[in-house]
Amino acid sequence: MKPWRSMLLWVMALSLVAVSLAGCGDSQDSVPTVEDPLVISAALDLDVVEPLLEAFRDAYPEIPLSFIDRSTLEVDRSVVAGSASADPSEESQPGGAEWRAEWRAEPPDVVISSAMPWQMDRANQGLAQRLQGAEVDSWPAWARWRDEVFAFTFEPVVMAYRLDLSRHMLPPQSHGDLHRLLATEAERLSGRVTTYSPLDSGVGYTLAQQDARYSSRFWDLVAAMGAVDTQLEASTRDMLRGLSDGRYWLGYNLLGSYAMVYAQEHPEVIVQVPMDYSLVLMRLAFVHRHARHPQAAATFVKFLLSRAGQHVLAGQTPLFSIRPDVTGPYTAARLRSQVGERLYPILPKASLLAFVDPVRRQEFIDRWEARFGDSAGKADIEAPSEIEAPSEIKGETADAKASIDTGSLSTQGDSRYR
Amino acid sequence: MITLGSSLKRQLLGWLSVTVLLLGLALMAEAWISSQRAANRAFDAQLQAAALTIAEAVRWREGVPHVVVPEAALQILSTDSQDRVFYAVLDEDGGVLSRNWPVVIPSAWQDRLDAGGLSRDLMTSRGDLRVHGQRVASAGWVSQLPVQVWVGHTLEGRKALAWALFRGSLSRFVAMVLMTSALMGLTVRAVLLPLRRLRRQLRSRSADDFRPLSAKVPQELHELVQALDHLFARQRQGREDLLRFTADASHQLKTPLAGLKTTCELGLRSHSPEHWRDALVRVHQRVDDTSRLAGQLLSLARLRHLDQDQGCPALELTALVRDVALDWAGRDQARDHDLGLGEVPAGPVLVRVEGWALREALGNLIDNALRYTPAGSAITVMMERETSSRDLASRRVQVSVVDNGPGVSDMALATLGQPFQRAGRQDTAGSGLGLAIVETTARRMGATLSFAHCQPQGLRVTLSLPLADDEMQQAPLTAASEEKSDVPVGGQA
Repeated sequence: MKPWRSMLLWVMALSLVAVSLAGCGDSQDSVPTVEDPLVISAALDLDVVEPLLEAFRDAYPEIPLSFIDRSTLEVDRSVVAGSASADPSEESQPGGAEWRAEWRAEPPDVVISSAMPWQMDRANQGLAQRLQGAEVDSWPAWARWRDEVFAFTFEPVVMAYRLDLSRHMLPPQSHGDLHRLLATEAERLSGRVTTYSPLDSGVGYTLAQQDARYSSRFWDLVAAMGAVDTQLEASTRDMLRGLSDGRYWLGYNLLGSYAMVYAQEHPEVIVQVPMDYSLVLMRLAFVHRHARHPQAAATFVKFLLSRAGQHVLAGQTPLFSIRPDVTGPYTAARLRSQVGERLYPILPKASLLAFVDPVRRQEFIDRWEARFGDSAGKADIEAPSEIEAPSEIKGETADAKASIDTGSLSTQGDSRYR
Repeated sequence: MITLGSSLKRQLLGWLSVTVLLLGLALMAEAWISSQRAANRAFDAQLQAAALTIAEAVRWREGVPHVVVPEAALQILSTDSQDRVFYAVLDEDGGVLSRNWPVVIPSAWQDRLDAGGLSRDLMTSRGDLRVHGQRVASAGWVSQLPVQVWVGHTLEGRKALAWALFRGSLSRFVAMVLMTSALMGLTVRAVLLPLRRLRRQLRSRSADDFRPLSAKVPQELHELVQALDHLFARQRQGREDLLRFTADASHQLKTPLAGLKTTCELGLRSHSPEHWRDALVRVHQRVDDTSRLAGQLLSLARLRHLDQDQGCPALELTALVRDVALDWAGRDQARDHDLGLGEVPAGPVLVRVEGWALREALGNLIDNALRYTPAGSAITVMMERETSSRDLASRRVQVSVVDNGPGVSDMALATLGQPFQRAGRQDTAGSGLGLAIVETTARRMGATLSFAHCQPQGLRVTLSLPLADDEMQQAPLTAASEEKSDVPVGGQA
């Protein structure tokens, strides 16, 4: 596991207001101060989200923020900080002791992460607070769970390639193209393909799981990627940097939100939304049950869902807003009109909880590693599997059929990808 | 005196509301329980489905169970209401194969688990759960160890569904109550309509209208209307009696006055002082008669107009009767008659009447007998307890005045009690008011006056008085032991 890459402490404060409010703090629901700000533990790049934080500061100058950018797994660990002092009725969690030792006792107020299954799991454990309000009620029902966890972005998962690639071969436009390309151009692409590591990154694991659910041919792709000695990275940013540097020619399963912005500044990188289907990741936010500033935390999350917040999201960040009443360059509606009806969002539903099941995860990773590491593996050899239950593949028609916006953005389940 | 009770409408509505309220509470309790049960049933079915889905995913490798939790199971488990979910797949000894929460399933439950499944409520530090367990075993080439599949979820969905179901029942019930009250209001109004109609009719009635009421009334009011009709009939009767009495009285007064006038005219036409004197003597005599008549009329009228009054003290009757008989025996009028006291019961006889009225009545009877029987007749005053009735409450005592005079005809017997009846006898000096006064007095005392023939001749006038209550308790009927005392108390043979 890669060590956490960056930890930016970013404190915003309007000192005059903060000082004036400092006196009337309450121990139970204390008002955030400069010394004791609202802590946001997030797997979200600060430079991407900064306009949003600025907007929040303008709207609520009395709430100082401490935005801590971490990897998804680190964010997940921060959630159980302090609360891991489990009560005697429960057996201690495996590995819980070392987690507890590693992290400080203070839980964050707001948790934001793109590792959707882990976020859902924490909420399922009861670590999220239920929110109430007009913003919550008007938020699309398919993008929230129990009014505790809110999916507030809409980030397509894309392929990216270096311009060099197109000089040698036809760039892939779909998963099928990619598979064919890996098989036919194996020698030229060897070591020049990159993708998310399902081991080190929660996002990578989630995307791989979801890919496997939609198409059993995904395993052929894994085997093909293994055959060309695909490099595994833990973040989209690292993959993009590798593409820019020329280390990689082709990247698979990058977060479109980062890649699209990056491609604008780096013309050598081309972003391709797969033509057959494109997964859509939704970042999940929740207020921690043991938040030290629950009021301010709720205010922050509601701001994320509010029209103002989503307007900034759609206009100044590549995170894409799903609010139908928001316009801007980055909205789900606009994306859909550009790439068509092939977006398959991963929705915050209880079925995601299966992804974090340790047995299931181990099973998946073992299989992934087996297919990936089997360098002699040929694309047309399907390893026999006793484990693969039929339900694993066909169980999620509901997910595939989930609509983003019943008004304009309905998608259809397509059996072609099975 | 009419005391105002609460209104019928209010009473009806009140009782109805109490009934509906109690019934409603019972219904609501039932609805609450059944909605809980329905919600539990629905959600337990989902638990079972989820357990089944997980059970289907169990695979055995070399007899060792292995499970990959399917997403669908968790989605089913979470339900539409997005409950938090729990699952655990345990081996036969309770060892964990897979689970998402470190919740310990009580070993007693694990022991009792079979293929049919087990649903229980479980309190955990992560919230109250409803859990369902199922035992999964499968045949195989090698022996395969069975596993336990436990699934559970929080109770929010159940509560929400139960509450929704209950709210449905509640709103239906409230609607029903509202409709019922409206209908009941209308019904009560409609039912009480005849009463209002009757009231209007009575109010608009003129004072001298004694015709029976004519209105369509329900059965329950029929008795009231009948009673009212009877009252009207009695009032009409009373009024007619009064008119007749007035007419009779005027007539009776007119005759002696006409006689007086004639006597005076005859006297005035003469110039002889002796004639004047004769006339004056006759005038004096007639004035005496007339003033007696006027006195009787007055007492009759007074008796009729006196109020009924029950609150007089008990009176010892024997002594009173003896006293009256003795009194009359000593008077001038009884000079020519054999007036005596007949049988009287031994011991005191208590009646609840006014002494003066009884004296008056008895005196009138004796006076009557003296007046209408020829000289030398025997008149006996008697007393005896009635033996006919076995009913204690209506036990009475009879006081009779018996004479052996000429008696009256059968026809006259029936009308003796009415004013101005003299049994066809116009020969004696009397007004015909005596018995009528006794009759009226008797009615006031709650007594009855009856007339009977005597054998071989004569008239027996009987005053039947109700005994006082305490008398009845004191002295049970002892008719056999009555003392026979036939002592003449006065008069000459």
